[in-house]
Amino acid sequence: MSAAFKAFLNSPVGPKTTHFWGPVSNWGIILASVADTKKPPEMISGNMTGVLCVYSALFVRFAWMVRPRNYFLMVTHSCNECVQLYQLSRWARAQGFMEKKELGGPTVKIDPKP
Amino acid sequence: MAATKLQAFWNHPAGPKTIHFWAPTFKWGISIANIADFAKPPEKISYPQQVAVACTGLIWSRYSLVITPRNLNLFSVNVAMAGTGLYQLSRKIRQDYFSDEKDAAPQLEA
Repeated sequence: MSAAFKAFLNSPVGPKTTHFWGPVSNWGIILASVADTKKPPEMISGNMTGVLCVYSALFVRFAWMVRPRNYFLMVTHSCNECVQLYQLSRWARAQGFMEKKELGGPTVKIDPKP
Repeated sequence: MAATKLQAFWNHPAGPKTIHFWAPTFKWGISIANIADFAKPPEKISYPQQVAVACTGLIWSRYSLVITPRNLNLFSVNVAMAGTGLYQLSRKIRQDYFSDEKDAAPQLEA
């Protein structure tokens, strides 16, 4: 246990390095988005959520290709990708993009929950 | 002369053929999305999200100057993130705590 923990502490992407604390700060965005899943979808910004989806996809690839390889950053952005895609789907549904009946542009409508 | 510089840039190991270029470059999208959202009413701003954006921007700004090599592209994009995040927070705080003429309750459009 202690040997593995020491290996983690002294890792080139460990908590003594910036490669660790950058991704830690990125968890703030993920936790904020998880908190926002409880709020009404009218509060979701389509701009920001769409951008965050592309951004996290790019950084999953970045974390894989950068040297030293940063698995923590990769996991961080994979989780963010999931949360942002979920928020994007909630936003799209609230905007009317997922309606099958009507043709024409999206309208802002309140989702009637059963 | 310009052609060889362009070639050097194009073929750089962190150049536009690689993710090392596009990932930080696309991060500008977060600040641009925030700037687009300056036009939205403060009721729609999310406190947790903007606090997270501002904090991430501040922390990464500092770290982009201490990593090797220094990455000024990463530095500037994170400064912009922190700036736009803090501005959005100031708009929402101003509306929630400092404006008492208008009703501060969020109105949902039907």
